[in-house]
Amino acid sequence: MTSPAVSITSLRHAWPGAEPTLDIERFEVAAGESVFLVGPSGSGKSTLLGLIAGVTPVQSGRIEVLGEPMLAGKPRQRDAIRASRLGVIFQMFNLVPFLNAVENVLLPLQFSPERRQRLEAMDRDGPAEARRLLRELRLDEASLTKKATDLSVGQQQRVAAARALIGGPGLVIADEPTSALDRSARDSFIALLMQECSTRGTALLFVSHDETLAAHFDRKVDLGEINRAGVTA
Amino acid sequence: MKPALLSLAWKSLANRAVSVTLTVATIALSVALFLGVERVRDSVRDSFNSTISETDLIVGARSGAINLLLYSVFHLGDPTANISWDSYELIDTAPDVSWTVPISLGDSHRGYRVVGTTPGFFEHYKYGRARDLEMREGRAFGDGREAVVGAEVARQLGYGLGNEILLSHGIGEVSFAEHSDHDFRIVGILAPTGTPVDRSVLVSLESIEAIHAGWNTGAAPRAESHGHEDGEHELMPDSVTAVLVGLDSPIRVLSLQRQINTYEGEALSAVLPGVALSQLWRVVGVAERAFFAVSVLVIVVGLCGILTALSAGLNERRREMAVLRAVGARASDVFFLLILEAMTIAFLGALVGIVIATGGFAALSPVLSGRYGFDLPIAPGWTELAVLGGLTVTGALFGLWPAWRALRNALVDGLSIRI
Ligand SMILES: Nc1ncnc2c1ncn2[C@@H]1O[C@H](COP(=O)(O)OP(=O)(O)O)[C@@H](O)[C@H]1O
Ligand SMILES: [Mg+2]
Repeated sequence: MTSPAVSITSLRHAWPGAEPTLDIERFEVAAGESVFLVGPSGSGKSTLLGLIAGVTPVQSGRIEVLGEPMLAGKPRQRDAIRASRLGVIFQMFNLVPFLNAVENVLLPLQFSPERRQRLEAMDRDGPAEARRLLRELRLDEASLTKKATDLSVGQQQRVAAARALIGGPGLVIADEPTSALDRSARDSFIALLMQECSTRGTALLFVSHDETLAAHFDRKVDLGEINRAGVTA
Repeated sequence: MKPALLSLAWKSLANRAVSVTLTVATIALSVALFLGVERVRDSVRDSFNSTISETDLIVGARSGAINLLLYSVFHLGDPTANISWDSYELIDTAPDVSWTVPISLGDSHRGYRVVGTTPGFFEHYKYGRARDLEMREGRAFGDGREAVVGAEVARQLGYGLGNEILLSHGIGEVSFAEHSDHDFRIVGILAPTGTPVDRSVLVSLESIEAIHAGWNTGAAPRAESHGHEDGEHELMPDSVTAVLVGLDSPIRVLSLQRQINTYEGEALSAVLPGVALSQLWRVVGVAERAFFAVSVLVIVVGLCGILTALSAGLNERRREMAVLRAVGARASDVFFLLILEAMTIAFLGALVGIVIATGGFAALSPVLSGRYGFDLPIAPGWTELAVLGGLTVTGALFGLWPAWRALRNALVDGLSIRI
């Protein structure tokens, strides 16, 4: 049986000096599933993704990502899991400004031997795979070697998606990746991302405050419904 | 640490080319200054410590080693007393003594010391690594009133071969007693050596004796009541100021030194020039160490530029660091990225500085050696290598503070850095 992409039990989180932001009893994303997590801004969506990504240590409760626990006491292990098995897309400024599009896509390979090995197992080399992904995400040829800062916001988001996907991670988490895009760019971005994820069997946890996007996904979850901390606040 | 970080550090620096270049330039200049000071310091020390070489003993009237060295070699200060001609002859004929060169000081020419000696001086006085005195023009003095002048004397006073000069009794620019009736003709001009020889007027012992003949102030070394009519070449002084001694076998040096120091006929001192020179350097070398300290401080100031260059961009780069974290970088990777950037800046600064310094040495070296007989090696050596390595490591230390701040930011920010 394959482990769920995300499995959360009894998670509580409070930023220093603040009221608890999160108190979630159970939350799960199945393997390969695409979940739309909605919640107003300030409700703790980014905080939750930080915990799932293993960048923020868990204070109380348990998070498993693709079957592996994100343990508070093991930052290196969390970093390694994120490097090899997770893709992350932000709202904006996703790219390292002094690298070009292809170089940005290649970044995860440099921090993860597993991603490199998975590519090698498929008999693909990094730069060719990066270009292939970028083309699939409709980045034009001329933009492949453009510096990140010379790309439009829509292009930057697609580069970020390619970067999240390279080397076949089991889960992509996206933190409002479309909120800086106009309507048509937003729809095509989500469509492309969904398509890439489903052909690879990659689970997707997509976070937004914009309810209207929910229709694209397998399942919609309202953070307010699972988060007991938000209700009282 | 991952190799990827090095290329990231490099590209990140390239992206901030202007501010990085300025920082590199600052460090480069401070390194060039430091290397210049170091190189000159080394050369000065080397040339000082080999002001006189291949001479086994310097003998003079009983006094301290430094004092004897100062007046006999550096022509600074005055001897406490002279050595009698008898003692000189005793030393000259002692077993194992290969050669002796007597030196008689006490006269001057327009502020430059007159050294009464024998032609053996040109043969036996060596400096540096056994370098011979070289005659740039002319020849050694002969029996008559002939003088050989050092390079600086010739340059400063504009002398050429054939010029006639007057010697004065005593030292100092203005002398009350000029041997005005005794013209000396310049027959030789020495090439620069970087030693006190450059500032000397060399004449024969006999001729100096001749001009003192009948001189009765008592201050000058007195001649044994010879008159002009006896012919100058027969004049022998009754004393000399110091004697340079060379031995057949260096193992005998210490025993001869002991014999001279304990000689009962006259109170004499024999010193080993090398030992006395390094004793003296310990005294005058203080200034040199001050230079060293200042140039090290200049480098530290240069390196502080790293703090500025890296700290200034740190806030704008929080996003970049969060992105790196998201793609799998550890917090420690963020730390090392900044350390690597600091090291790269320091390394480049050192490298450019070494290039500047080497170029400077190449340009200056011929001038210095031609004019002052001062050897300034051009090729980079161990010092440069040490500076390159040392600065790169120190650069890492200067990167610690910005790196620590970046690390802390990365840990605090998580994925949710607000813009
Ligand atoms: N890195 C952080 N440090 C401290 N407080 C934070 C941090 N990130 C978020 N918060 C706080 O947690 C709360 C939830 O923020 P966030 O998770 O960013 O919400 P959302 O992404 O849903 O807009 C806010 O009150 C915010 O100020
Ligand atoms: Mg958010």
